[in-house]
Amino acid sequence: MPSTPEKVHVALVYQSLLGIYGDRGNATVVTKRLQWRGFEPVLTVVEPGDPLPQDAHIYLIGGGEDAAQISAARLLRADGALQRAAERGAAVFGVCAGYQILGRSFTVGEHDQVTEGLGLLDVTTTRGPQRAVGELLGTWSGADGEARHITGFENHGGWTTRGPDAEPFCTVEVGIGNGDGTDGAVNGTVIGLYPHGPLLARNPALADHVISLGLGGRELPPLDHPEIAELRRQRLAAVRPGR
Amino acid sequence: MAPMTTQTLQRPAAPAAPRSPVRRLRSRLARLAGGAAAAASRLSGRGSGASIRGQVMLRLDPDALATLLQGRRIVAVSGTNGKTTTTHLLAAAVRQGLGDQAHRLVTNADGANLHHGIASALSRSPRADVAVLETDERVVADVVRLGRPEVLVLLNFSRDQLDRHHEIKALGRSWRNALEAAGEDGPVVVANAEEPLIVWAAQTARRVVWVDTASTWQQDASLCPQCGAGLARTQPDPETGEGGDWSCTGCELAEPRADLRVRDGEIVDADGRRWRPDLQVPGAFNVGNAAHALAAARLLGVGTEDALAGMHTVTAPAGRFATARFGDTTARLLLAKNPAGWAEALPLATTSTVVLAIDSAAADGRDVSWLWDVEYEQLAGRNVVCTGPRAVDLAVRLRYAEVEHQVEPDLARALAGHPEPVDVIATYTPFQRLRRMGGV
Repeated sequence: MPSTPEKVHVALVYQSLLGIYGDRGNATVVTKRLQWRGFEPVLTVVEPGDPLPQDAHIYLIGGGEDAAQISAARLLRADGALQRAAERGAAVFGVCAGYQILGRSFTVGEHDQVTEGLGLLDVTTTRGPQRAVGELLGTWSGADGEARHITGFENHGGWTTRGPDAEPFCTVEVGIGNGDGTDGAVNGTVIGLYPHGPLLARNPALADHVISLGLGGRELPPLDHPEIAELRRQRLAAVRPGR
Repeated sequence: MAPMTTQTLQRPAAPAAPRSPVRRLRSRLARLAGGAAAAASRLSGRGSGASIRGQVMLRLDPDALATLLQGRRIVAVSGTNGKTTTTHLLAAAVRQGLGDQAHRLVTNADGANLHHGIASALSRSPRADVAVLETDERVVADVVRLGRPEVLVLLNFSRDQLDRHHEIKALGRSWRNALEAAGEDGPVVVANAEEPLIVWAAQTARRVVWVDTASTWQQDASLCPQCGAGLARTQPDPETGEGGDWSCTGCELAEPRADLRVRDGEIVDADGRRWRPDLQVPGAFNVGNAAHALAAARLLGVGTEDALAGMHTVTAPAGRFATARFGDTTARLLLAKNPAGWAEALPLATTSTVVLAIDSAAADGRDVSWLWDVEYEQLAGRNVVCTGPRAVDLAVRLRYAEVEHQVEPDLARALAGHPEPVDVIATYTPFQRLRRMGGV
């Protein structure tokens, strides 16, 4: 008798506001990698106006245009579910504008409007000296402590300053990220990074790390996809000519 | 009875203002140099030369575009998707209406729609006084300012090439400001009533003919472009055939009442008269494009029957929907540049083997994250070949969509050896390569 598959609840936050760069791809990757391992993923796509689920294991937040980002930050602060999720140790993973929203505040738009974030990461974002657009290559120490590349595409006008309580997520070899040679920030089970969209598709170890955080640090059996390894090889070669 | 083509169409354009002999000479030299550059480009097999002709001309005579736009009756066609096809449909309608005076028409049929592409097309037909111009979204404001078009067609507005256009709202604002500045001299706008950003941009126009194309793509509009509040939508009702509409929850912006609607493949006007356009280009979205073209043609004075007869002649605008031979393989070419375009193109690809070609050159957008906003899941059960420089990005997307596929990055090899006809969907750069390879 097969046992009932374990349900894992994944919430994709405000797809219509924060989904401009294919950010739903991160939800596709997380749910498929759960399914391929025998879990039963339950995906909730939360739209503005609807409350966030209180019981999700993993919350995913994407990127959006300035007005959408400001609107989303206000709604999320009022909702409160992400703050509670972080307190109870659920995984909260934001990219691009989603990363900025997880911080203390961000400055966007024509009038440099300062908007308060959720304060889950000790970072502050202000307008950078140039827009960061292009491939990003970084290195993080994976869940097992082994150095791994992060490959993605970033497109953001804000640069991010880390406060004393924010660990950078990775160092940056190509691209801008936070603007100081690092990208992203991590605090417990909350992670933010600049490369947007299907970042987790290009970085399966990071995808599994986020899943594992959502499951209380559980170890997951490996999944091997040669195409993903080939994609990573190609993107690395594209940003490191001659190496 | 549908209105017949009228005297309005026969009306010649107001003549251009006289220019000094020096300026005339400079224009003439710029045109000659542009022509020489285009010929060199063609001889070396690098392309039609349209783009290089315009670049050389505008380098030598920065006012060339303004000069070339003078003395013509202009219709500009813009939007994210469907510009080229709509331009061809509209040009064919006007050509039919002009009859034996069809030589009065100039159009940039090759899809070269930036400043230099438009200048190139106009320079080759100095005496044509009716111009149907495909116009890139970034060039709309300049064409409105410099050319004072009679009609401006705004098809749709969707995210595309975000690595270059960071915010589509900024483009919408440039249209709105240009229309406001033109005031009573501005164009009549033919615009898609379903797109909030287009409705907001067209609010400043002196007059708008609204078209409802019954499109289902809504993923790019969730906030009001005027006040930033959320938009409320009613969904289309398949029982009654009524289309959905939208309104802002924070201000008065709402979907305007359409003057022309598309319903079940027919174009319906405000009086309930219906026409079924007998198009040779496929897909419901091309009926929507035809509705825009029909509205624009009628504003120019083309009769409805003439317009429909003209549009019927369009088969493969700039290679779109063309069938070509690649060795023993017969392939139909479809272009898709962004999630909205893919949502339209994928249902048209009906062959058992489908070839998908992806690149990330500047013209395609360097970021392929959009692959994750396309519902490739619908290809499950088909034989899919991934090709182009970013074939492996697509392969990973298909792996997660659980769609079986092969990877063959080389375009020629991906197309070789298919005994049955195949449909090919390509982003811009591989699409142009396929046109050259297939001679279409």
